[in-house]
Amino acid sequence: MASVAHSAPETHAPDEVVHPLIAPGNSYKSITEKISNVILSGKTPRVWFFWFGIAFLFVNILGLSATVLLLIGTGIWGITIPIGWGFAIINFVWWIGIGHAGTLISAVLLLLNQKWRTSINRFAETMTIFAVMCAGMFPLLHTGRPWLAAYWLMPYPSTMGVWPQFRSPLIWDVFAVSTYLTISAVFWIVGLIPDFAALRERATSRFGKVTYGMLAMGWRGSARHWHHYEIAYLLLAGLSTPLVVSVHSIVSFDFAVSVIPGWHTTIFPPYFVAGAIYAGFAMVLTLGIPMRKVWKLEDFITMRHIDCMAKVMLATGLFVAYGYGMEAFMGYYSANTYEGFMMINRMTGPYWWSYWSLIFFNVLIPQLLWFRSIRANIPALFWISMSINIGMWLERFVIVVTSLHRDFLPSSWGMYYPTVWDWGLFAGTIGFFLFMMLLFIRVAPIISIAEVRGLFAETRHGHGKKHGAEEVAA
Amino acid sequence: MNNADSNRALLEGAQKRWLTIGVAGALLCAAGGFMNAEQFFRSYLFGFMFWFNLTLGCLAGVMTHNLTGGDWGIATRRQLEAGMRVLPLMALLFLPILFGVPKIYEWANPEHVAHSAILQQKAGYLNQSFFGIRAFVYFSIWLTLANLLYKWSGELERNPSLAIVRRMENLSGPGILIFFLTSTLAAFDWVMSLEPHWYSTIYGLLFIVGQGLAMLAFMIAVTTWLSNRGALSEAVGTKNFHDLGKLMHGFVVLWTYGSFSQFLIIWSANLPEETIWYAHRIAGGWKLIAIGLAVFHFLVPFFLLLIRNNKMKSNILVKIAGLILFMRFVDLYWFISPAFNTNGLGLHWLDLAAPVGIGGLWLATFYGQLRKRSLAPLPDPFAEAEQAMERA
Repeated sequence: MASVAHSAPETHAPDEVVHPLIAPGNSYKSITEKISNVILSGKTPRVWFFWFGIAFLFVNILGLSATVLLLIGTGIWGITIPIGWGFAIINFVWWIGIGHAGTLISAVLLLLNQKWRTSINRFAETMTIFAVMCAGMFPLLHTGRPWLAAYWLMPYPSTMGVWPQFRSPLIWDVFAVSTYLTISAVFWIVGLIPDFAALRERATSRFGKVTYGMLAMGWRGSARHWHHYEIAYLLLAGLSTPLVVSVHSIVSFDFAVSVIPGWHTTIFPPYFVAGAIYAGFAMVLTLGIPMRKVWKLEDFITMRHIDCMAKVMLATGLFVAYGYGMEAFMGYYSANTYEGFMMINRMTGPYWWSYWSLIFFNVLIPQLLWFRSIRANIPALFWISMSINIGMWLERFVIVVTSLHRDFLPSSWGMYYPTVWDWGLFAGTIGFFLFMMLLFIRVAPIISIAEVRGLFAETRHGHGKKHGAEEVAA
Repeated sequence: MNNADSNRALLEGAQKRWLTIGVAGALLCAAGGFMNAEQFFRSYLFGFMFWFNLTLGCLAGVMTHNLTGGDWGIATRRQLEAGMRVLPLMALLFLPILFGVPKIYEWANPEHVAHSAILQQKAGYLNQSFFGIRAFVYFSIWLTLANLLYKWSGELERNPSLAIVRRMENLSGPGILIFFLTSTLAAFDWVMSLEPHWYSTIYGLLFIVGQGLAMLAFMIAVTTWLSNRGALSEAVGTKNFHDLGKLMHGFVVLWTYGSFSQFLIIWSANLPEETIWYAHRIAGGWKLIAIGLAVFHFLVPFFLLLIRNNKMKSNILVKIAGLILFMRFVDLYWFISPAFNTNGLGLHWLDLAAPVGIGGLWLATFYGQLRKRSLAPLPDPFAEAEQAMERA
């Protein structure tokens, strides 16, 4: 796992380049400067304003769609009987899935000692927080009266003795998602503290010094601080790890514990978790590729990182495809009329286009990732990630809509047509997500300065050392 | 050279011991077969499946290590390859199952099929000739993969080069994919179809996780045995066992996750066609086994493996690995035997003789294969190139 290999070994095949994790020619000083300059240089690229404007427009669409929804009610959505679950659950699951890369990168890869997580973890964690916020909006808004949501969703000992149904995965969702948001946020903030201290030192304006000073919570970088910090970080990583699996498993139970063909299938939990990681990495690449170019962060997010992320996408994508395969196989093997019909209906029914586009975007296109040359081709990776973003949304559409619209009795079949307000709310959350990400890039380091410096120390002084952070803290 | 001689003697001794046990077990099984053919085939399937899963786990382990690298595999690579080399024996040992199909599988019994509309519908897939063809295809694929990988790692040993490493990587990527599919279908064919009306989409994955877990536990056991006898290089130490222990911990959790997910989903929906599988597995004495699985396949190893010291000391870790190997037997028994004994525990002496007999032959072959090459870690041209660059 050496990471300072600069060029190909001469005696062997010339294409065997091992890319470094930090580009050569950097020092502790240059690392801090390059990352904090994104914020402190005062030069905001024009493209930032362009996208910020667009994102702001969509935040307004979100506001409008939510306002109309609250004034009139969920009747403005396309949901009907039998399709009682529409865009709200599709988008909820899509966003929650996107949030999974952050925890995987920050927690699981930390425990697995994968050094390539450093320098993409902050970015992915930030994405997680905002993606979970977007996800959370849907269950809250679908209640119609979100100010009463806590009363409906949270179990508390009321005098009426009314409790939520504890056997329902929907209430487990409430616990799982709120735990996930809390732990992710704590992890993120703890990680940010040393970086805020670095910004405090480097800020030139009085306002900047005071603000970052407060956010740094008195961090002085003493050995004792680092000692506590490292313990806290490791413990939080341990706590977050089960959350990577639990949240999306419970989301899959929302469907799987029912008796609806297409929902009730035992492969759902692992297949949903793999899909979540797949979607999460696709979003990290979708946003990370332009970001590293605009702010010239290629020194820290190198081709090595991008190659590793592409490999994770390939592996999780194949597992998702395995899930589709198992469903199709059991549609035949079960010899169950309804299971068989569900598969045929997905492939050839009125929503055939959604199933086959899903296969195209989520299974076929990502097979390009097998090739080393594609994994080294930035534009190709951007479009493959985009394809996966679309594919993963279609997956949830297929699961929710095609399973519900034709169940057991032909007399109760129906069709689902999302309305302009469905689309407005969905597009609005994408705008909100982008808006928050763009704001964050402007005010806090999008790459962890402390960890990249730690990695730099480690690679420079050999592999035996655990963390060089202490000696470079000053 | 003295070390190589003593290693050879050590492995030869082990091979002879296990061969004796294997032959004795095989004779017992043959005697049992004459007394009770039906029971023989049932027990034989159980014994076969355990050792088969271990073999396939070794094949998957080699391919995974080709793709991901890692210290766990450097210490165990030779043992994994020897395990994978038992595949021809397993192909041979599959033949009795092929002959026993009408005695083992309900769907191969025309009388049963005549009374079941569902089985008639499935007859296109579940019939004797297609079953045989599929098994032939699976084994051909696995044998090809194993032979190529073994051949190339021999080349790598003689003449280390990056090109060979790349070639192994390029085969292992698609190889893992093909392994996932074939292993899943084999689990459906050979075990799930014992109850031909029942189906579960996570079933293949449960088998694959079981294969991984058995492989890791066996690797810990055999690596400890070899290193305690000074047969391995001094490079194999605490770090390797710690990594293997962590991986085994992960797989224990994965096994629990998969098993519990399947249970929860089936329990919640409460459909008779699905719950029957669990109904058979908690009937009578089976209930104790089910509880035993939760306690000794999950709780006990989970908490023991949380403790760092237990993972780093090979002599403690090997005991946990032993427990897990034993529980893999129990889990598989709980998967297979209730299909025949739906009302309660039906332990037969052949259920013990078959896995011991097949296991003896398996281990004898394994040690024979292990003898063929050095026990030193495979050369790693990538790591060497990187180290050279670092020194520069």
